[in-house]
Amino acid sequence: MSARWGMVIDLDRCTGCQACVVACQAENNIPINTEDIFHQRRAIEWIRVERYWEGEYPNVKARYIPIPCMHCAQAPCESVCPVYATYQTTQGINMQIYNRCIGTRYCAVNCPWHVRFFNYWEPKWPESLKHQLNPHVSVRSRGVMEKCTFCVQRIVRTEQEAQVEGREVEDGEFTTACAQACPTDAIVFGDLDDPDSRVAQMASDTDRGYQLLSGLGTDPAVLYLKKIDPDATDEIDGIGPDGTRD
Amino acid sequence: MRRRDFLKLLTVSTTGAVLFTGCKLGGYDDREFQKQSPVEHPADLPFGRDNWYATAFPAVGGGIGTIVRVFEGRAKKVEGNPDFPLNMGKTGPRAQAIVQEVYHPDRIDGPMRRNGNSFERISWSDATAEVAQLVQNASNPLLVTEPISGAIARIAGEFAEESGAQHLVYEPDEFVVLREAMRRVFGTDRFPALDLPNAGAVVSFGADFLHNWISPVQFSVGYGEFRQGGNGSRGSYFHVGPRLSDSAASADRWYPNTPGTEGMIALSVAYTMVEEGMATEERAEEVFGGISLDDYVPEDIADQTGLTADQIRDIARELGRNAPSIAIAGGSAAAHTNGLFNLAAVFALNYLTESVNTEGGLLLNPGSPDPDVIPNRIGGASYQEWDQIIEEMLAGDIDLLMVHKANPAFGLPEASRFHDGLDQVSTVVSFSSFMDETTRHADLILPDNTTLEQWGLDLPDPAPGFQLISVQQPVVEPFVSSRNFGDSLIRIANEAGLSYSWSSVQDAVRSLGGALAEVGRGLPDDNDDPREFFLAMQTQGGWWDEESRMEEAPSGPEDMPSPSEAQFSGDESEYDFYFLPFPTNSWEYGETANLPWLQGLPDPITTAVWTTWVELNMDTAEEMGVQLGDMVRIESPSGSIEVPVYVNPAAPPNVAAVPIGQGHTEYTHYAEDRGANPIEIVAAQTDGETGALAWAATRVRLEPTGERIRFPRFERQLPFQLEDNPVVQVTRDA
Repeated sequence: MSARWGMVIDLDRCTGCQACVVACQAENNIPINTEDIFHQRRAIEWIRVERYWEGEYPNVKARYIPIPCMHCAQAPCESVCPVYATYQTTQGINMQIYNRCIGTRYCAVNCPWHVRFFNYWEPKWPESLKHQLNPHVSVRSRGVMEKCTFCVQRIVRTEQEAQVEGREVEDGEFTTACAQACPTDAIVFGDLDDPDSRVAQMASDTDRGYQLLSGLGTDPAVLYLKKIDPDATDEIDGIGPDGTRD
Repeated sequence: MRRRDFLKLLTVSTTGAVLFTGCKLGGYDDREFQKQSPVEHPADLPFGRDNWYATAFPAVGGGIGTIVRVFEGRAKKVEGNPDFPLNMGKTGPRAQAIVQEVYHPDRIDGPMRRNGNSFERISWSDATAEVAQLVQNASNPLLVTEPISGAIARIAGEFAEESGAQHLVYEPDEFVVLREAMRRVFGTDRFPALDLPNAGAVVSFGADFLHNWISPVQFSVGYGEFRQGGNGSRGSYFHVGPRLSDSAASADRWYPNTPGTEGMIALSVAYTMVEEGMATEERAEEVFGGISLDDYVPEDIADQTGLTADQIRDIARELGRNAPSIAIAGGSAAAHTNGLFNLAAVFALNYLTESVNTEGGLLLNPGSPDPDVIPNRIGGASYQEWDQIIEEMLAGDIDLLMVHKANPAFGLPEASRFHDGLDQVSTVVSFSSFMDETTRHADLILPDNTTLEQWGLDLPDPAPGFQLISVQQPVVEPFVSSRNFGDSLIRIANEAGLSYSWSSVQDAVRSLGGALAEVGRGLPDDNDDPREFFLAMQTQGGWWDEESRMEEAPSGPEDMPSPSEAQFSGDESEYDFYFLPFPTNSWEYGETANLPWLQGLPDPITTAVWTTWVELNMDTAEEMGVQLGDMVRIESPSGSIEVPVYVNPAAPPNVAAVPIGQGHTEYTHYAEDRGANPIEIVAAQTDGETGALAWAATRVRLEPTGERIRFPRFERQLPFQLEDNPVVQVTRDA
């Protein structure tokens, strides 16, 4: 199947509840982020919810934005990997081959969104909690990079099932763990190349759509829909990494 | 591709990059790379099949329906049940983390008996026999549970009746006030549903309804549609409250008010609605009865409330002009000495906008199809009722305390003397799965199964506006030697020679399920064969009837509480801050602080993890000479705690907000000795009418201790955090 997987995140629906964060941890065998790990600034969250302040008390706003890997079509992380451990699949997923990674961390340095995470230590779980681990997702070892895969294990499983049944994968037949959990349906995943898919329609049917740091020209597969604020004093249309407006 | 093949590939050509990027990955099938691990090695092949079981989480987020992925007998992942009308396939962070309960390393792994300061393992037969003996000999036994309904309510009720035990329910006091407000305003003691997808506007007075207020997953599902649903118009949301809560951050406008003035603002909103022709004087008279709305002219009372007159008028227009609209109140608004008045005044606004039990309004829930057979959820006792019980405990009148999924030793303030009372109880029996503060006092522990290992038949509260019952089934075998609380009660009763209607919880669930088949309506509708009917219920996650709604709403409040002003413990000259404890997105009132995923989940507003903090206004912090991580002592007339500072740009200058949930002395190594419990220093003030603890009615003073800690948080975690670039784009156009 030739799909181009992508995601639309509607910031007007997002309430910052972080169900996506825990769902991703549960699905993808992400190690427990202990207090020490936060102090070391090595917490791993394949999708995170950032909060931005705007204004001053009492006219202050807190804005939420979930940030997974952008799965850029022109990914800056790919070109710097000396061992081709990071690459683009034909379906537009920016993948990491764990047993090829030698841990140079060049990719993390080159990622503008900082959605690549390095395993400084062997991940640890108490023996009993290992029973929860997802058998279809590798546990990453010390010294390798890890990142959001758009829940590739779900993609592979669904494609295999469709292949056995001799049919195409249907839109909405599966989704990523974060999108499935999201209670406000702020996260929608699907095939951007299928004009009938919900994600493609959301991406094209709105004038609220934008790509994060689009000025970099990396062409992310994750699109955002702008937050609506009827009282916004200044519509913020995005500021590029160099501080200039798009 | 194996590592060896890969190296071979590189050796073949010095231009490996060209091979990979230009020649379709050197001739290897691209799909091979999609595997997260190489599948050639047998050890990497997962053998087994996935099974998905529908069940329910009655105690999580108001009760949601779930499906659980089970692989080779182990629970792997929780998803929302797409058939279940309450949450329609969606979940929240706490539901996602519940699988950690099952495999928690500190779970109590079998029945225990106290031996000095520690516990020793005993057999289930010994444990059951000992408790049965205690029940037989007890002159005044007390059974304490969480709010329960359905099958477990019948079992516990029958146990209490047969054994002569008092049954007391423990739940956070704000819900005690809310239940009473629902009774007084709408004539029902069930929580309301909100028809958000069809509402024009929502105004929340303190209720963090998208994160931890009564049914956050249900409301979040509706909220998504409310904002960007198919009806073509975007609903607007205003939030009134002394803290920019996790939900308030999503509001179009947040108006910080003086704590305890929510009711006064509501009456002023009502006055404005009448004045500006959005409601008639007669209707207002009907709704607010003897209250003179003329005493609440916005310009006259604005100073007292902390809002401007224009802001109060804006709220009125928001609700009045966008009707059907929804006004709700909860959280700290309920936790004042005038908590009941605050809530009742706000909920009564829904009558003025004709939004009670209408499309797009506040929906009243009809409750159980047969409350005698399938009881509605039993609400909690008020602080005053607890106070009486504690008096009895102190006097040595209660000789046996049995406690299940309730932790009053953590949730009640020091001033309640619950700990002293516990010491005077001859025997304490706990049915907890984890060692918590109350269980630490136990003489015997009969550990309960966790959520995923249990049978149950419950009535979620709130339901979605029609009759709904969830069916819980064990999706995995108990991971340790634990036993359903209900099964323990039944066996204890049998051992004590008491009669019982059922032989097990499963038996009770099936029996009550059979009663549903006899109702003759709703889904599943195949009720000819009871076995098939129950199987269908199990498969879809419960029973519901979308037609069985509350037929008629009352025309106005039955018994509107009189207006009253909030009273605070601590003189303003001595204690210059309002103390504002608040439940959190991760730990609610502390129930889920034992789960490491939730400990490490950043607080939405502060991004803090694994700790407690006090939120201070930027100017206040500067005046005090403190910054992030500086420790301050928070002193109330009832005690003190020490917590680090988080400088919050949205904190009002005179409010010290502290999250509830940490400060456990027990409750697994993930929660133990971490942060502080703000409830400890709350004064024993109560709501004048319900007797519920007014946990937001304490004033405090702050004093820097001179110490500083590294503040654990997610913010600034990444080397080049995007914080400096406003990546959240905003538009005014809906």
